[in-house]
Amino acid sequence: MSDSSTRPNADEEWENLLHQWQTEVAVPPRPYFYGRVHARLVNATGAKHPPLRTWRHWPAYAVMLGILLLLSGDDAGLHAVSGVQESNHQPEASFSGE
Amino acid sequence: MVAQLQQGSETAFRTLVERYQDRIYRTVLALLRSPEEAEDVAQEVFVEVYQTISRFRGEAALTTWLYRLATSRALKQQRRARARKRFAYLTSLLGFDNRVLYEPADNDHPQAQLEGRQQVEVLRAHIARLPDQQQVAFTLRHEQELSYEEIAAVLSTTVSAVESLLFRARKTLRHHLQPTLRHV
Repeated sequence: MSDSSTRPNADEEWENLLHQWQTEVAVPPRPYFYGRVHARLVNATGAKHPPLRTWRHWPAYAVMLGILLLLSGDDAGLHAVSGVQESNHQPEASFSGE
Repeated sequence: MVAQLQQGSETAFRTLVERYQDRIYRTVLALLRSPEEAEDVAQEVFVEVYQTISRFRGEAALTTWLYRLATSRALKQQRRARARKRFAYLTSLLGFDNRVLYEPADNDHPQAQLEGRQQVEVLRAHIARLPDQQQVAFTLRHEQELSYEEIAAVLSTTVSAVESLLFRARKTLRHHLQPTLRHV
């Protein structure tokens, strides 16, 4: 059993407890904190940009695809267009051919 | 420094981080109790500073702004952690996860509270249960030793409101801790 005459009063106990709490949280972050913040910042910035860049690339991809179709050896691009026209005229051709 | 930061100077940003990292980390740690969470939130604060410094108009001091970001993010993290804990408790009740049922309570055996460390843990648990503004005022006053005026600036309130917040916080904490203190 504790002796009440030697026991510090409630205010003192409170102050001691506060002091213990202050001591416990008075720790710095782990070393190289800035390095980790910087890495996080780079990640955050990097994550924001790709969708924007992808958007910028889309017209270029469309133009490249068009050029590839036009320049391809078997005239796939032209056939693709003329094929549609031929298929529209085909019933007449087959009729006259008979 | 603010002008340099607004121009995107990495040197200025490094200086800012190194100058304030201890204060921000300690403030967040005092509110969150977990060093891992405190580190995470402190990093987020500085990233936010870098990303939003262009909008900083200097109505408040840079330190005030940093404390404001740190405390609001820490409280947000605290709410998230509470929600996770509640969800884990609910799932444990439904039998999805029994581990949480055996999680130790905040207040262990009274004898264990005699240990100084345990008492601090009890204090921290009670600080975390205070209303948000009282938590911030108490932490900034007793951990960061900010003046009433500085705390009022962080909380965007008056000095008398800060006095009231601190009075109520101390009263609540001492009321809850008094039985524990008397055992010493």
